[in-house]
Amino acid sequence: MEAHIRFNLNGKDMELNVPPHKRFLDLLRVDLGLMGTKEGCGEGECGACTILLDGKAVNSCLLLAIEVNGAKVLTIEGLSQNNALHPLQKAFIDEGAVQCGFCTPGMILASKALLDENPHPTEEEIKIGLSGNFCRCTGYSSIIRAVKSVSGGQ
Amino acid sequence: MMTDYDVIRHSHPQIDSLEKVTGKLKFMSDLRFPDMLWGHIVRSPYAHARIRNIDLSQAEKVPGVKAIITASDTPLIPCGPFVPDWEILAQNRVKFIGQEVAAVAALTPDIAAYAASLIKIEYEELPTVFDPEEAMKQDSPQLYENKPGNIADTFSVEKGDLETAFKESAFVREETFYTSSAFHAYLEPNGSIVSYDFTKDSYTMWLATQVPYKAWVLYSQALGIERSKLRIIQAPIGGGFGGKFESNLHLVNACLSRKANQPVRLVNTLEEEFVTAPLRVPMKIKIKMGITQDGIITAKEVEVIADNGARTNYGPASLMTACYRVDSLYRIQNVRAKGYLVYTNNVPKGAMRGFGNPQMILAVESVLDQLAEEAGIDRIEIRKKNAFRDGEVSVHGWIINSCGLVECLDKASEALKSVVEKKELPPHKKRGFGVACCNHVSGYRPILKEFDGSSAMVKVGPDAKIIVFTGEVDMGQGYKTVAAMAAAEELGVPLQQVEVASVDSATSVLGIGCLASRGTVMGGNAVKKAAADLKEKLLEASQELFGKEKRFLQIRSGNFIDATSGEILGPFQDVIAKLTGKHAGKPFIGLGDYVPDTVFPDPVTKYGNPSPAYSFAAHIAEVEVDLETGKVEVSNYIAANDVGQVINPLLANGQLEGGALQGIGWVLSENLVIQKREILNKNFLDYKIPTFADSVHTKPLLIEAQDPNGPYGAKSLGEPAFNPVAAAVCNAIYHAVGIRVKHLPLRPENLLEALRQGKREI
Repeated sequence: MEAHIRFNLNGKDMELNVPPHKRFLDLLRVDLGLMGTKEGCGEGECGACTILLDGKAVNSCLLLAIEVNGAKVLTIEGLSQNNALHPLQKAFIDEGAVQCGFCTPGMILASKALLDENPHPTEEEIKIGLSGNFCRCTGYSSIIRAVKSVSGGQ
Repeated sequence: MMTDYDVIRHSHPQIDSLEKVTGKLKFMSDLRFPDMLWGHIVRSPYAHARIRNIDLSQAEKVPGVKAIITASDTPLIPCGPFVPDWEILAQNRVKFIGQEVAAVAALTPDIAAYAASLIKIEYEELPTVFDPEEAMKQDSPQLYENKPGNIADTFSVEKGDLETAFKESAFVREETFYTSSAFHAYLEPNGSIVSYDFTKDSYTMWLATQVPYKAWVLYSQALGIERSKLRIIQAPIGGGFGGKFESNLHLVNACLSRKANQPVRLVNTLEEEFVTAPLRVPMKIKIKMGITQDGIITAKEVEVIADNGARTNYGPASLMTACYRVDSLYRIQNVRAKGYLVYTNNVPKGAMRGFGNPQMILAVESVLDQLAEEAGIDRIEIRKKNAFRDGEVSVHGWIINSCGLVECLDKASEALKSVVEKKELPPHKKRGFGVACCNHVSGYRPILKEFDGSSAMVKVGPDAKIIVFTGEVDMGQGYKTVAAMAAAEELGVPLQQVEVASVDSATSVLGIGCLASRGTVMGGNAVKKAAADLKEKLLEASQELFGKEKRFLQIRSGNFIDATSGEILGPFQDVIAKLTGKHAGKPFIGLGDYVPDTVFPDPVTKYGNPSPAYSFAAHIAEVEVDLETGKVEVSNYIAANDVGQVINPLLANGQLEGGALQGIGWVLSENLVIQKREILNKNFLDYKIPTFADSVHTKPLLIEAQDPNGPYGAKSLGEPAFNPVAAAVCNAIYHAVGIRVKHLPLRPENLLEALRQGKREI
């Protein structure tokens, strides 16, 4: 018994039938072939599956596909416009905030959600705001620098 | 000797950063094949049990199930990276909670999981043993018939005259330390896709491993096939830290694919990672050390009892490094070590960043502080007194060509003055500083019997794109970038001109992999040589084109130039197009191999130089201890590492920042809760790795002792970034509140209890 959902994905209107128990993460990765969103823990702890749902950072591993009905969704694939990098993407590269890269898509989206809500966060606000996203490689310092460099001048 | 480099010594983001920030980079779990099946493993719920019966009948009936395997579907060849105690699927007995017993391949993950739940296994529980010292006793349950006393491996070494040395010491200290296990907690779970081709009786594996060549060797042996029948295609690694070496998971996957005759994807859940990772070897370390009145270390004696868990991974290597690596940190002449790696019914243990070095460093650096205190010697000074000078040889014959330890200590203590928290603390908080040093290897001869070193091939074809083939892998630390930088530097082209091919056993050159922090030195040296070889060939071939002899030609900044005048003769792309065009597009290929002058240490005396270069570090931690809650905060951290020569400051600093926080996590927050013999917190909610909120201000200091063997003078960094952290933090805690930490991890409630009860150690 499938449910009919309509939502906007990275600027495109989508209309699909989905089983009610299907996770949105699986809809992205298995059905839509969008691999940028990762599965790290499947329990909503690591943040590797972060997407933006109506502008808010959520763990797509805890989101049912039916819950996105009527919403606007942004995944990492939708972040760069017309093949131009988002300032956060550029900053992550320049500051060395990318090591293995597995946390990166979720981390960048979470950073975008933070800056969209709070354009000039303090270091403390960055740390708290991103604390739902783990990184095991960088020790976080370079990520904080990347976010600061985008929020600083802009 | 500082040369002006065009590429080396400059900060460059990792060369695949663009793919990573856009989500385009395909990790192993992102790969899809049209006829791919989903795998699910059935694991033992018991720590030790005989398998009485396996009933697959219900599971087999589930529509969409393509294959179910048990031990009889596996080759039954004993195998393992160190001790051949692996069973792909448990044969008669299970020996740890989580051991693989059966596996299902089905059309969807839901079907595979459902069918797996219908597999009925009858177990007969057997007596268990979880404590290594208990396991060594005569009457303990034996895990393996051929391993009496449950001893998986031992290590012993002795040099000098300890009895006299201790007798002549002014101060002697004996202590016992307990270092905890830990989970690597990379974010990308381990897994693979394996495709069996019955027409060729061959397997193709897509996986992410730190050791593709070693995996190729082990897996072909375990599957009972020629290496030519196995192709390993490396995917980018989403974090390794020593947890992605050879894995039984890939072998289960291979057998599943063979039975199903289709590609099968098998990826661990996070919970499964906790039980099979394999976790850091926990150790009980008894240590005795002495110093002279002036602070010179006279002798060091240790006994290590290490938990191997129920099957062997890199425990033997972890035991060995714990027992004797630190003997080459300082100029100690009298050493004795005895180590035991013991089987228990705990989950398997193995390597994690540093192997056994961080464990022993905690013990040595803590005791050294204690001795310094007794003797009234400054903690920095005592370490400087015992440091090597360039060119000295350690007690085990390790040739320390370059040692920047003194400079590390000087620069770190200098930096402390500017970095230290100036603000006054409220009365319920106490501040302290601690220093700890470490050493490490840059590659290690005993890793592989067949050869040491690395080889590389650098190719340039008509499109002038330079492709580096290297046998070493990137696990996120940036090895690919280092390899590309070495090639670009040698060839005189911009970094953007260079690509690094993925490791593929069918086409790649050989390498030993990323462990023992060997990437930059081994792989880097090989790539450097191959690129230099390519340049020679290009200059040779361009003689005719420019009407000049080779010695008047050079390549610089992406142009062929006159070596004397600097006049640009032609852009790289154009010249390559012409040179390759003359011979039907034939590419130019440079080959290089780096075979270091290392030896297998003598099996009995352990004497012999096993690495071409040794790194050193001195770290200083500043902590604030809350006397009311027992919480410890690391308010500042200084990491001074002797890296020989900096290849890429951005990436090097990244290692120091990441290593520092990982080490802090090991001491202060990462705790595997084991009750009723099982790990209860197999998740990120309750196994607490550092988050943003725990991040620390780390000041990285890159010290350059210029090693003669390293590429451009460079030495290892990956593990030395982590090794001293726990010791530095614990030494700082003692400085703050006078309590010696001898059990990891440190829990606030334990520290609080110690504070309230006036205990001097926990």
